[in-house]
Amino acid sequence: MEAATAHADHHGPPAANVSSRVEAQFLGMLLFIISEVMLFGAFFTAYFFIRVVADSGWFPIDGVDLPKAIAGVNTAILVSSSFTMHWALEGARNENRNALRVGLLTTALLGLSFLTIQVNEYVHIGFAPSDNAQSTIFYGLTGLHGAHVFVGLTLLTFATVRAFRGHFTAKEHRGVEVPGIYWHFVDVMWIVVYSSVYLL
Amino acid sequence: MLNPLRSEQEAFRFLLYVVVVAAVVLGIVFAARALT
Repeated sequence: MEAATAHADHHGPPAANVSSRVEAQFLGMLLFIISEVMLFGAFFTAYFFIRVVADSGWFPIDGVDLPKAIAGVNTAILVSSSFTMHWALEGARNENRNALRVGLLTTALLGLSFLTIQVNEYVHIGFAPSDNAQSTIFYGLTGLHGAHVFVGLTLLTFATVRAFRGHFTAKEHRGVEVPGIYWHFVDVMWIVVYSSVYLL
Repeated sequence: MLNPLRSEQEAFRFLLYVVVVAAVVLGIVFAARALT
């Protein structure tokens, strides 16, 4: 009788199933990153296909080469930003608010520097996306990654503002940890992009 | 087992592994190119 009453009191659709093993925020980021890996995989497929079939080979093309040194500095900047991100999260875990704030702010500034240098690289690189298949996939891959850096920067900006407003504790810091996982993913993808596109 | 999507710490460790693996692969490729 009680069960029937409880059933009659319930309105709307049944409550969504919630996993007891994975938190919803982590599950969302996990599924998102898996889909991102597939997206990058599609671009890398195009890149390797062009490298195999193009008669003119990879860069340099018509005397124009890729700026490996500048991109190398950019790589160092992005890898450094993962270290500061990790430092920020360790700060949150240890209730070190200064480390959290400075770490997040430094990570965001390093990410912004990376993006600024990449835009500057596009301006001075000497070829356009429409010039040939190699330039198309170069802009496609690096631009796709740049868009991800921009998204990561947006997440970091929210986290930084929240950190300066006094949010996050040693127990509750998902707002830093989830963007942190994403930021490391963006960094990993850049290492693969830089190694294959610029160096190999 | 390392799962880079489980926590930021594991994602960071995975990043360090990727840096090392990329350095090794690049070293092998450049060495092979220099020798051939």
